[in-house]
Order: sequence, then structure tokens, then C-alpha cells
Amino acid sequence: MSQQRMQLWAAEADIDEDVDLNLAIGSYGQSDRYDDVIQQPQIDEATLLAMQQHMVQQNAFAQIPDPVKAFIVHFHQAVLDNNLAEITVAYESGWNKYTEKFYSKTEWPEAEVIAPLVNDDPIFLILYRELYYRHVYSRLQPDIDDRFHSYENSCELFNYLLNSDGPVQLELPEQWLWDIIDEFIYQYQVFCTWRSKVRSKTDDELGMLAEGGPVWSSYSVLNVLYSLMQKSKINDYIIAQRQGKSPEEIAEIVGEYGQRPLYRQLGYFSIIGLLRVHVLLGDFTLALKVMDSIELNQKSPFTRVTACHVTTYYYVGFCYIMIRRYPDAIRTFVTILNFIMRMKQYHTRSYQYDQISKTADRMYALFAMCHALSPSRLDDNIANIAKERFSEQYAKMSRGSQDAGAAFEELFLYACPNYLIPPDPADPTSGAEAAPQLDATHRHLSLFLADVAAQSQVPTLRSFLKLYTSLGAKKLANFLDADEEEMVQEMMVVKQASRSISRVPGSEHLTAGGLLDGETITTSDLNFVIAENMVHITESTVGRRYAGWFIKNTERTQKILDDLKALPLPASRSHQGQGQQQRLPQAPDSSQVKGGGSERKVAWGGVKTAA
Amino acid sequence: MASTWIKPSTRPTTIDDLVNGVDRYNPTNLSILEDYLYHQIRSEEYDCLANLAILKLYQFNPDIYNPDIVINILIKALAASPLPDFNLCISLLDERTAPSHLDEPDPLPSTLPQLKDLQNLLYRCRFPAFWETYLSDEFENLRDNYTVEVTGFENSIRQVAIRAVTATFTRISSERLGSYLNLEGDGLVSYVKSLGWEIDSSTGTIIVPPNPDNQIEATVVQEQIKLPQLTKLISHAVKA
Repeated sequence: MSQQRMQLWAAEADIDEDVDLNLAIGSYGQSDRYDDVIQQPQIDEATLLAMQQHMVQQNAFAQIPDPVKAFIVHFHQAVLDNNLAEITVAYESGWNKYTEKFYSKTEWPEAEVIAPLVNDDPIFLILYRELYYRHVYSRLQPDIDDRFHSYENSCELFNYLLNSDGPVQLELPEQWLWDIIDEFIYQYQVFCTWRSKVRSKTDDELGMLAEGGPVWSSYSVLNVLYSLMQKSKINDYIIAQRQGKSPEEIAEIVGEYGQRPLYRQLGYFSIIGLLRVHVLLGDFTLALKVMDSIELNQKSPFTRVTACHVTTYYYVGFCYIMIRRYPDAIRTFVTILNFIMRMKQYHTRSYQYDQISKTADRMYALFAMCHALSPSRLDDNIANIAKERFSEQYAKMSRGSQDAGAAFEELFLYACPNYLIPPDPADPTSGAEAAPQLDATHRHLSLFLADVAAQSQVPTLRSFLKLYTSLGAKKLANFLDADEEEMVQEMMVVKQASRSISRVPGSEHLTAGGLLDGETITTSDLNFVIAENMVHITESTVGRRYAGWFIKNTERTQKILDDLKALPLPASRSHQGQGQQQRLPQAPDSSQVKGGGSERKVAWGGVKTAA
Repeated sequence: MASTWIKPSTRPTTIDDLVNGVDRYNPTNLSILEDYLYHQIRSEEYDCLANLAILKLYQFNPDIYNPDIVINILIKALAASPLPDFNLCISLLDERTAPSHLDEPDPLPSTLPQLKDLQNLLYRCRFPAFWETYLSDEFENLRDNYTVEVTGFENSIRQVAIRAVTATFTRISSERLGSYLNLEGDGLVSYVKSLGWEIDSSTGTIIVPPNPDNQIEATVVQEQIKLPQLTKLISHAVKA
């Protein structure tokens, strides 16, 4: 624009060419004016842009419904006040309510737009952005900018938490802290998946990826999780707690960061996060090793957040399957599935309920697979539900027939986590061949199926062995129409299949071993030995269990008795009733029935009172 | 038993710290772990978790990938059957294009299926078939270039067979055992003696010493009623 002006001015000067002075004066005046005019458009441009932006923001701002504005202000105030209860309410119900109401199909307003409401508080804006991106990832399709920005935001958040001078004074509800870690890993996961589908990308996106460098690289994700763990010294804290040290000693061990609940919880959830990341990258032993200090029981702190609880058990169980420790896997799944069944009634309102149900379903599938591979007398309740849900696959799997492989494959693909190929830091477009993502899953699947195939004869052999106490090898080979030597080798496989490393409940306190520890135990009732060419078989059986039944019924009768005693007596029988009552307490066990009879003398026709 | 698998007694402290700490992600430590692998190869030791640490570093840093190391790790893992070590190693090997920095073509894609075959045979206890396959012509490359470096490879495979036999048999004929161990005659006799097993010279049957796995007895799992279960009952009696 200024160019045009000058030309025009030059043109006018051409016209006024005779008098220099005129020109000077004229041009001075003109230049003044023109200067002004020249400068003004510059100012105008900048301010115009600013004004335009401001107007856009104002517009967007104006479009925010009032309840949402009020909510944001309220939320911000709660965060500033460190009012944990208010923050929890705002986070859990408020955010979801407004999402459903106003933003179910679109994004929440950008952080810049609502900034004036919160006085540009950077911390709150970081937290707000975290929620904003979570919403984008879950309800909408994030594009490459979203992915890069969400990564930067996460980095800012963790930077703020880890690299400020001293621990920050923020307090956030546990559910939110878990969700932060969970979401962080989830975004990393989808980024890796998305990256590997290079063919569908535009050149721009490829360019951005190439320059992206450490965005969502495995090292940075692991770095964050490990740093959180180290800063909060969470492992030391757990060990100290277990050893029963006093609060002062613990405070000294964990330092100033570890004392704040925010950091402690973040450290704790990072351990679970690491468990998950290692499983996704295919390193199962490391995953279990990371969980060394955490005890898997109902009293552990991670049970406070249900989603975390379920996730932990799912990944631990899956690790056990991949390292062939089926009894441990079964035990893990039974524990958590029982818990979920009991909790179902209380949790239907939570928006995570769907996710938990889905995970539970996958765990039923995994349980069915383990049970087919290593049958044992176990919790019938869970076994029944699993068999019902996956009845045809289960039937195929436990028969060890030809289509068992297909059934295993189907369930495995349904239930396994979405494996990852870690992005190569040097070459971001690597791993771009035909669906390497699928390759990772298939690689693990083929390993699992090879194991399954090796054990495919086991159920058949076991069913034969059940029928005999001793059997010649030749005879058994005839039954199976197999070569004797081949069959003997298969018997070794059966023997191998019925032994497994498992955590023995008694010894864990002594060795304080982690989840990888264990001893070899037999998992099957059926046991056999080959002496030259003779197979000797024994079976262990369970004696009749009567104690539970008797105790239950005794307690029930006691309860009935107590209720009866508490009933108001009919007036005419007051003397008799009281007299008889006093004689009852002497031998309640043996005289339960008789005691009842004496009260209802008339009804039972004459059973006299106990002595 | 698992505790020795987690931490073998032969593992030096430096390696222990490395494997258990955050330093395992540092690519500069790779040479320490690789040296430790060569030590294992030469002295017949085995440390699964340290080897898995090497594979994990390769997973994150494909530019320092060394296929010979990988093959050696897999060979070592073969001898650990029926433990899942071999499978764990495969889980950490990603499919990738041949890295360009290698001087020679990558031997892994051709040897990997062979190693998988061997592992399959071992897991399914097909020992005669294993020896047959292993000693065949196709596997010559594997034998001459790799397993010959690993000290005591054949003996470690024999250990796998011995473990399976110990669990399943109380008595086994010499021919059968010989076929599992790929030994016969005097070689077999001396090997069995070195294990401390007896040979019944009249029939040529080898007696497997008793161990928890091959002593079987029928048990009836009796229910044990414990005092805590009865507390409610007894307290009610005392109260009333």
C-alpha cells in the first residue's frame, strides 16, 4: 500500500514540477499527510488484525453459553483455592454435563477464548487444554495439529509439575490424575497407530512429522513416567510403608516432593502407566518387574480409582498369559472379575462404565482361553459366565480339535491390547510398510498360537488317561492311532503342560518377591509317570466339602432363633415362654432343633424342652 | 526357582544395576550388555533379563541393531525351553526393513525361521526330530557360524531333554534316551554317569532318580475346617 502511495506522490510531484519551493512545501505538506497516511495503514493493519482477532474472540466468547462461563469461573476459583471437593465435583459431573449439553459434537472453546474469564491464569489454562484435547481425542477426530499441540501441552504440564522450583501447591482429585496419565499414554498409542498409516497422509503432514522429532517419541513418554516416579520416590515410599516406618522417617526418605499427595499419586499412577507401556511394546517381563513394589490386593491404593484398578489387573493378567503362566493369569482375572461384578451396581452412572464393561468382556475371553489351556477346579461362578458368553469358542478350545486354533485366534485378537511399534527417532517415516501395526499384533498372535498348537493333543490324552490307573504305552498308542514313540513324546508335553510357575501364596511375604516370582507347581489333577513302557496314572480328587454348608445352615438357624426370641410373646403364655427361654441358652448347638420345638410346642406336637 | 531366572547368581552387580534401573535405556550402555552376552556364551552361563534388555535397546534404536547378537541371544534362549524365553525375545523383535548401516546382508531373516523351527520341536519334546533337523544340511550355516561359538550348546539342549525325561519317567530304555540325547553306546553311558543316574546293566534300562515330578500318588484333598470359620458359631453359643 505504501508503494502505491509513493508512486502517486511521485506522479503528483511530476505534475507540480516547475517550482521547487512549491514542490518542497507541497511535498512537505503532502509528505506529511502522506507520511501520516503511509504510517496509518501500517498501524491500521496491525490493529486491524488485532481487532479482527479480538472480534473473532469476542464472537466466540459471546457464543459461549452463560452456564458454561459460570462453570469455568467456578472451576477456576476452586482450583485456585485448592478446594479438592469442589474441584472433584466440577471435574466429574460438571465437565461431563456441559459436554453432553453443549459440546457433544464440537470442541470446547479454545483456551485463548476463555482466557479472559480466568485472568489468563497459565496453570488453569494448561489444565483446561488437557481436558479440551481429551475431548477432541475421544469424541472427534484429531488432526495433525491437534496431536502436536496436545503433546506440547502435556509437556508443559509435566514440565510445570516436575521442573518448577519445589513442589507445586496444586491439588487435584485422584481420578483426574489417573486420567492425565491414562490419556497421555492413550494419545501416544493413537499417535503411533496413526503414524504408521503413512499412505493416507498428505505431503504437508509428512513434512511436519519429519520435523517433529521428539514429538510422541517412546523415549519422551518413558522419560515422563520415570521422572514422575523418581521425583516422588514412590518405590521407596511403598517399601517404607510396608516396613512400618514412622511418618517422620517416611517423610525424610521421600523428600519434599514425595510428601505431597499430588506427587505421590502421580508417581503411583506412573508405575501403572509404565506397566501398560511396556506391554504395548511387547516387553512383558519388564512390565511385571516394574510392578515389583505394588501388591496386588484389594487394599492397595490403586483400587481407589476403579479404572486404574481394572486396567492394572487386565495388563498383569495379559503378561502372565504371554509368559505361559496360566494359573497366575486365571487367578488375576478371577479376582478382578469378581470385583467388577460386585461393583456393577454402583458404577452405572460413571462415564467410564462402558470402558470398564468392555475391558471386563475382554478379560472373560482371556479367562476362557486360559481355562481351556490349563483347566483347574476353580471359581465356578466366573467359569460359568465365561463359558456362557463364549460358549462355542470355549467348546472348540477345550476339545483341542482342529478348529481350536481358529477359536483361540478369534478370542486373542478380540482381547489383546493394541500393540505398538515404537517410532524410530531417527527416521519418523519408518515403519511405513503395509500395516506394521497389524504386524505387531500378529507377531504376538502367532507366538501364542504356536504354543496352543503344541498343546493341542493334551486334552485328548488327558481324557484317555482319566480312564485308567495303568496302561501300556503300546495300547495307548493304538487308541490314538499314533506311533508309539511319537506318543511318548507327546506325553512329555502333557507332563510339561501340567506344570507351571506360579506364585505360591504362602511364601510371598518371606521373599517379598515381585510378580515374576514363583515356584513350579502342578496344575492338573491328573498325574502320571512312565516306567519303561508302562504308564501309571493317579488322580487327585476333592473330598466332600461339608463344612460350609453346615456352618451356613447353623448360622441361619441361630438367626431364626434370635428373631423368634425377639418377638413379643402372646400374653397368655408369658410365664411358660419366659421359663422356657431361660433354659435354652445352655446348649444351643445340640439343641437348636429342640429349642425351636419347645417354643412351638403346640405346632410340633410335643417335643419337650431341653434339659 | 523363578528367583534364579530373575536374577542369576552369576550376574555381576554392574549388570544388575543396569538392568534394574533407568540406565538400561541409555544406548551407550549397550556395549556393556553385549560384552556380558559374549561372556555368557563363552562360560555357559545364561541371563535372560539382561539379554532382553539388549533387545529392547535395539527396539528403540534401530540404528545400532546388530543381527549377530540377536541370533546369539535366540540360540541361548533355545536352551531354556520350556520356559518362554524364546518367545519373549521374539516379542521384542520388530519387523523392519533391512537397516542400511550393515556391511553385510542381514542374516536374521533367513535364520529366524530355522530357529523358530528348532524351538517348536523342543517345546513339543520332539527330541529325535530336533537332532535330525539340527544336523541336516540346511542348518549348516547355523551350525558353522553361530552355534559353534556358543560353548556347550549341545549339552544345554541335552539338559532340556533331561528335564523333560526326569519329569515323565521313572525308568527309560537306553535306546529311547539315546535318541533324545543324540548319544549312543559309550558316549551315552558316560553322560548318564555324569548325571549321577544308574544303569541297570542287565536290561540296559536307565533309572531316573526320584524327584517331585515323577513320584505320583493319589491324594484326596480333604477339607480342613479352621477355627476362624467357627468363631461366629461359638461366639453365639457363648453369648446366648
